[in-house]
Formats: sequence, structure tokens, C-alpha cells
Amino acid sequence: MIRLFLNLEWKQFTRASYFQKGVAIKIMLIFAAIYFGGAAIMIGVGLFFISKKIMPNMDPITVINNFLIYWYVLELAVRFFLQQLPVMNIKPFMVVPIKREAIIHYLLGKTTISFFNFIPFFIFLPFSIVLLVQGYSFIHVICWFLSVMAFSLCINFTNFLINKNNTFFYSITSVLFLFIGLEVYNVFKISEPIGLAFNALYDQPYLIVLPFLLLFALYKKNFSDIRKGFYLDGAISKKADKVDSLELNWMNRFGSLAIFLKNDVRLILRNARPKQVLMMSGLFLFYGLIFYTQDAYKDMPAFLAFASMFVTGGFLMTFGQLVPSWDSEYYKLLMSQNIPYKKYLESKWYLMVVAVSVSFILSTPYLYFGWDIFGMIGAGALFNIGLNSFITLFGGALNRVPVELNVKAKAFSNTNGFNPTQMLIAIPKLVLPMLLFYIPYKIVNFQVGLLVLALSGVLGIVFRNFFLNKIETIYQKGKYKTVAAFAEKK
Amino acid sequence: MITTSNLSKKYNENEVLNIEALEIPKGQSFGLVGNNGAGKTTYFSLLLDLIQPTTGAIINNDILVNESEDWKPFTSAFIDESFLIGYLTAEEYFYFIGELRGQNKADVDALVAQFSNFFHGEILGQKKYLRDLSKGNQKKAGIVAALIGNPEVVILDEPFANLDPTTQIRLKEIIKNLAKAKGVTVLISSHDLMHVTEVCERIVVLEKGEVVKDLATSEATLKELEAHFAG
Repeated sequence: MIRLFLNLEWKQFTRASYFQKGVAIKIMLIFAAIYFGGAAIMIGVGLFFISKKIMPNMDPITVINNFLIYWYVLELAVRFFLQQLPVMNIKPFMVVPIKREAIIHYLLGKTTISFFNFIPFFIFLPFSIVLLVQGYSFIHVICWFLSVMAFSLCINFTNFLINKNNTFFYSITSVLFLFIGLEVYNVFKISEPIGLAFNALYDQPYLIVLPFLLLFALYKKNFSDIRKGFYLDGAISKKADKVDSLELNWMNRFGSLAIFLKNDVRLILRNARPKQVLMMSGLFLFYGLIFYTQDAYKDMPAFLAFASMFVTGGFLMTFGQLVPSWDSEYYKLLMSQNIPYKKYLESKWYLMVVAVSVSFILSTPYLYFGWDIFGMIGAGALFNIGLNSFITLFGGALNRVPVELNVKAKAFSNTNGFNPTQMLIAIPKLVLPMLLFYIPYKIVNFQVGLLVLALSGVLGIVFRNFFLNKIETIYQKGKYKTVAAFAEKK
Repeated sequence: MITTSNLSKKYNENEVLNIEALEIPKGQSFGLVGNNGAGKTTYFSLLLDLIQPTTGAIINNDILVNESEDWKPFTSAFIDESFLIGYLTAEEYFYFIGELRGQNKADVDALVAQFSNFFHGEILGQKKYLRDLSKGNQKKAGIVAALIGNPEVVILDEPFANLDPTTQIRLKEIIKNLAKAKGVTVLISSHDLMHVTEVCERIVVLEKGEVVKDLATSEATLKELEAHFAG
């Protein structure tokens, strides 16, 4: 039985669309896997020494234990967005003579070998080896390691339980932010009692039974949930909620663009994938924190310019790069209707402009880092509106990968809407703002650098029609190819 | 109305469609039948300029379809689910199509109201996205959307498939009425010989991409078609 399942699994893996995409993508995926795997191992090995260096008075295992809770919450958050229980696959098995229990065990077992479980494995295994080399007690380290892995699997199964429900997630994240706040302002350190608990796990190896009991309980809960829903109208069919229509009449002021804008707003609000993009683009707002807080970048204004562009450009880049692809599911309809490409493109452009403006307003707290930084963000926003938007739309026009709107993107199992053209087109997006700022900065001064970056954006806005017409011709030329590519079933 | 000349479509060396000449006059209800792979959908896709002809061309109301886009305002189609926007409700979808075809909300409401019988209470006011409707109901919404904006040419691919018997009967009325009363040129394809002989004045049989029969519908047509396909 298991052999049969594994055989199917192997076929699914080797015949999946991402394996049949180009060699270039395969190589990049392998590189990405090596990179992430390697990075995890490096972190694992380095963790011990870094902790020694930063907090020489504390035992590294204690330090790690104190922070483990944040790791797990982060893991839960990442999994929530990217990992889904592969439910749809069980449909063809429902009517064949296989015990339902066997299918569910297999399904749940399968999730334990997901990418998300390898990351903690690759971090904590080397860390544990370092501990052993450093002469820590064998039995303690092994039990601790197994417990940590068990907790990771607990997160794995917890995710499936809460994945269907957003409120769970939001309450967990708000509690998390509350505790981070309390921790930062030294009001109450949640990491201490939980750290104590994890330390106890290390000190008393027999406590290893606790995480395994928890794991067992969560597994049982998942099992019974799926068992109960093992009918067509149960867990595997998606619930159709009652919905209200969105009139969006106030958008009519945009004239002939309104019709497209309204649809785009509905597209974003009503589909899983664009919603995911929207959330991800929110994270870009915090990108500046990485750069502005580090002294190392103080003297590298080109990197600061780059980071500033990212702060307001999250939505623009993540949404914009898939611009015709978002409409791939009904592209034939659009092509047989009387639709001016230019209006279509212009509506997407307005959407990006709004997104950049909103991000810019939301980025005002960066004033904390001074007017120079905020000026950079402003100039970056103008660059985004005027140039980056068109570069992104141009890249999108060359991208002919269909997107499944209401399916969440999954890490490494889905290269949906990703191709090498995308990578090439990303280069000017990243390098251009750096050059536009850096050259005048080197020749004249900081202010002129900002001015040039901002002016480039203004220029783009002035020549908007020129750019839109150029992109329009690409659309027209590629029409048949695009229709054919979007019609391809995955 | 629609003139097809020397039209062919090849994928690599594989010819999927080859129509030397086909003339469809205005106001005709035209049926296309043929087994799977006969080229029905290919022909419709060429009519809508969704694929490029290898040779020849289609002229729709004096407009060369693969060179000008001016056929779009008076031509509409429902080929498959990719003509629906899954995340809209039926009403929103109708208004969207209406707006593209220069109709305001009142126009669309008035038109759609005529089809309440056809909808059977399962389309309007459902508070559901189109993607959550059943296949048959999706088809109903798609077909009616193709009638918005007074098109002169309506193309429906397999309109009877997935519909329940009541709706099939009502759809037949709608199609007959379109051609007879309003002078609309209706092109449909179907695997159901009975429906198609009932609805269409003229039936063309495609086989491996070529026209093998071109019949004006009469009492004997159904028998003749059945004999052909049995055979």
C-alpha cells in the first residue's frame, strides 16, 4: 500500500510542472535549496559561537532556549502563509478499496517531510553536534534535540488545525506582538518562563515525553478532524461563503478606467493569491529597518537608496510582475471583448501608484531616522511611481505564466508565475535607483543625488503615455502566445 | 455576414482545420457538429482571433478578423469557463460585460430580467461568486452574458452540455428567438444531434478539420446525421 502511494508521489514530483519548466529554473531551484540548506547549517554551527560572543556570561544552550519561543511563533506564521494540508489529493482515493485510515495516516505522515521541517532540522542538528563536540552531555543533548524537533512537528500539525481560520492566526500574532512589546520595554519577559521550561527540557532528559505526548495529541486531533471530514462535502470541498457584491461606485470618478479598477480591487480582495501578495508587500515596509539600523550601511548611501526604494515598492513589484498573469484565468474573455489594452494597463498603473502612495504615508515613522532617510524614501517612491512601475509592467508583459488565483502559493512546490525573464527584468529595478542616486551623489552631493532619483520618477510620469504605448505594442505582438500560454493546464 | 475562405490551421505538421469556403448569411442559426477533435472549437477560436490562422482568413461583417479588432463590438461568445471571471458575482459579471459593451446598469438589468425564466432563480441574488456555482449554472451566466449589448453575432460552444433538461428546453427557445426575431447570427456547436437539428436552420458536419456535410435542416436531417455518425 505504502509502496503504491510512494510510487504515485514520485510520479507527481517528477512530472510536476515546475520540473518540466526550463533547465534554468531547475538550476535556480537547486541553488536556492542549497543556499537555504547551507545557510541553515551555517546558522546552526554558528549559533553556539555567536551566542558565546554576544553573551559570554550565559550558557549558549540557555540563550537558545530563551529565544526558542520566538522561533516557533515565527515558524508558525511562515507555515500559516505558505503551507497547506494537501487535501485535494485524496479525492481520487475516496472510492478505491483502500482503508480511509491508511490514507489519512499517509497524508499526515507525508507532511512531516516538508521543506518547513527540514529548516529546523538543518539548524538544530549542527547546533547539537557543536554542543556534543564542546563536551555537553550526550543524553541531554540528544533528548533536547529530539524535543525541539518534536515541537517543530507540533507546529506543523497545529498549523493544519488553525490554517482554515484566520481569527486564530490574528489572535496569535497580536499576542506575539504584545509580548515582544513587553519584552522590548522590559515590562515582562515572556521568554524567561518559557526559557525556563525549555531549559528544564534540557536538564531533565526524561521530560522528552512531554513534547512527544503533545505531538501525539495534535496528530490524533488532525486525524480525527480529517476522518470526520472525509466526505466530498466535508473537509476537501472548499466552503462557499455567502458574499455581498461590492458596488464600488465611488470609483466611477476614474472615468473609463473605473471598470478595470473596480475589477482589480475585487481581484485582490477575493482571491487567496493576491491577498497573500498584499500581505507580503506589507512586510516590505519594514525592509528599511534592516538597513537604517546598521552602522555598516551608514557610509554606503547607494544601499540605503536601494532599501528606500524597497520600502514603498513592495506591492508594486510583487503584484506588478504578474500583471497579465492575474487575469490569466479569463484572458480569452478579455481578448474577445472590446478592451483597449492601454486602459487596462493604465488601471494597473494607477493601482500601483495608490499602493506606493499608501506605503509612503505608512513609512512616515522612518522620520525617526532623520530627514535624509525620509527624503530617500520619498525619492524612492517617486522613482517607483514613474519608472519602476513601467519597468515592472514591461517585465510582466513578457511573462506568460498562468496564475491560479484562489490557490495560495506554496514555497518550493509552486513556481507559478515565475520565470527567468522575471529575474533579468529585476536587475534594472534594483540597480537603477542605486545608480541614479549614487552617480550624482559621488559627483556633487547627497541632495543632488536625491533630486536626480526623484526627477527620474517625475520624468517617467511625464512620459507616461510613451511608456504605456510601448508596453501596449508588446501586448499586441504577444497576444496569441499569451492566450495559448494562459490556456495551458497545469 | 461571416465569410471563411481557404482557412487552415496547422500545429507543426498536424492540420487540425481546413475549410475552403464557408458563407454564413446574416440572421442564420448555424450549427456545427463533429466528433472530438473535428475542429469545432478551433474554428470558433479563429473566429474570435484567439489563435492565428495558418492560411486564409475569416471576414466578419466586412472586417478581416485577424487584422482589425472592429468585429469585437458586435460579436460575442461563450466558449468555456475561461470566459467567466470566477471571483465576481453574477450581477457584477453582467455589469462588467455590459460596461465593456457600452451598456449602463439599467440596460443590463432590463436584458437580464428577460431571462429570469432561464435562470430558474439560481443565478441572480445568490450571494455567490461565479467560481462557486455549479457547472450548469456557470454556463447559464456565461450564455446570458454573451447576449448583453445587442450583439449581431453570437458564438456558443457546446451550450447544451451540463444544462438540466428544463434549461435545455428554454435555451432552445432563446436561440431560435435570437435568429428569427432579432436577426442575430447564431453559431453553436454541439454533440447532441437532436438539439442542434431542432434549433439550427443549417448544420455543417466537420470531420478531421474538413467540412464533410452542409445541410439545410429538414425532417430528414436528424436521420441523416445519425446515419453519418453511426457509421
